[in-house]
Amino acid sequence: MRYQILQKPDFAAIRVHFDQGGEQLVCESAAMLARDSAIDMKTQMQGGLSLPPSASCSAAKASSPTPSPRASPGRRCGSRLVPKAISEVLEMNGQYPVFLSSGAFLAAPPSVQIDTKWQGARGFFSGAGLFLLQASGYGPLFFSAYGGIHAVDVGPYGYTCDTGHVVGFTGGLNYTVNKVGGLKSLFFSGEGLVCTFTGQGRLWISTRNSSSLVNFLHPFRPVKSNG
Amino acid sequence: MQFDVLYRPAHSMARVVLNPNESVLAESGAMIGMSPNVQMQTQSGGLMSGIKRMFGGESFFRNTFTAHNGAGEVLLAHALCGDMRVLEMTQAGFFVQSSSFVASTPNVATETKVGGFKSFFAGEGVFVLKATAPSPGALLIGAFGGIEEMQCDGNLVIDTGHLVAWDATLDYSVGKSGSGWIASFLLGRGARLSLPRPRQNLDPNA
Repeated sequence: MRYQILQKPDFAAIRVHFDQGGEQLVCESAAMLARDSAIDMKTQMQGGLSLPPSASCSAAKASSPTPSPRASPGRRCGSRLVPKAISEVLEMNGQYPVFLSSGAFLAAPPSVQIDTKWQGARGFFSGAGLFLLQASGYGPLFFSAYGGIHAVDVGPYGYTCDTGHVVGFTGGLNYTVNKVGGLKSLFFSGEGLVCTFTGQGRLWISTRNSSSLVNFLHPFRPVKSNG
Repeated sequence: MQFDVLYRPAHSMARVVLNPNESVLAESGAMIGMSPNVQMQTQSGGLMSGIKRMFGGESFFRNTFTAHNGAGEVLLAHALCGDMRVLEMTQAGFFVQSSSFVASTPNVATETKVGGFKSFFAGEGVFVLKATAPSPGALLIGAFGGIEEMQCDGNLVIDTGHLVAWDATLDYSVGKSGSGWIASFLLGRGARLSLPRPRQNLDPNA
């Protein structure tokens, strides 16, 4: 399988080229832009039923189409990224898992196993969601976020990141949610809560978050006046 | 201190590298990441100036990030999709449209000034920020859209919804052009100066 990220960095799309028949790619639902007609697309539940059916936190788990090309090689499919704007790819080499915030996962071949991991109470505050997706195995992992994706190599001192801007991180990192500055800063700084990462690994931060866009657009929506 | 603007032009982020004990002053909510030896302090910088800032569309509080025990790094971003620029402070300073200010070196003093009541009806705020610095410093501005720098040589007419920042040596007046309200800029002293503005903007009155 070959891949190429087009229109980087602003409106990235991924073009995946299947070299052999039988190759598969598991994508987030609604991620596909276009595909060659020789590629089959199948939708299935992914990740098992360890979550209660009412858990809608991990949208990527609900249904995942599995395109698989038939006879001839050289077919391709594309991927869509609205409202996400930037895509990144990580070549997994089986050594360590990668944790992605729910919604950040875009696509991966079946050789990368995707599972959900419950974050506990801190997940509620972390902005990355109550569930994180754990990806492990071999092969390219495509993930995306609203905004640019900035990679930070976290060293022994750790790194602090705004909640809501966390896209993903490698398995060697652990995080805690705390407030930055004092109590006054918690309410007035506009920063709110931050995630402090410790350990060794790589952290991906998005440079924008969609709630800022929503707050900006909210006053402009048409409303019915009462009576 | 070093400002690096990455991921331009749509999802730009500024990486500020701080020397030990150096500080950067940033807008509320602008920080998206920082090295853990950077400490943040929230201040209003005075009750009256805080209130005036609120009218100017900025927030009452500002954050100061200081690197302790070594060099530090702060990642800053604007809330909306768009470009960011670093302006080197000049003797005269800059006028900055409210909401375009993201961060500055601590020696930059910002003051809210009345921009003109006509601009209020044009959809922009009444107030603009005036940024001045007694010593060399830098100002980080961001906009919803691309930022284009324009030279004003004589007369330049700009839509008020599209202003980001301009040199304080330029004279300006707000007036009507054609069917809409725009600002017309008149140059007072005959020198060539620059005027950044965004290429697109979400203007509710447009």
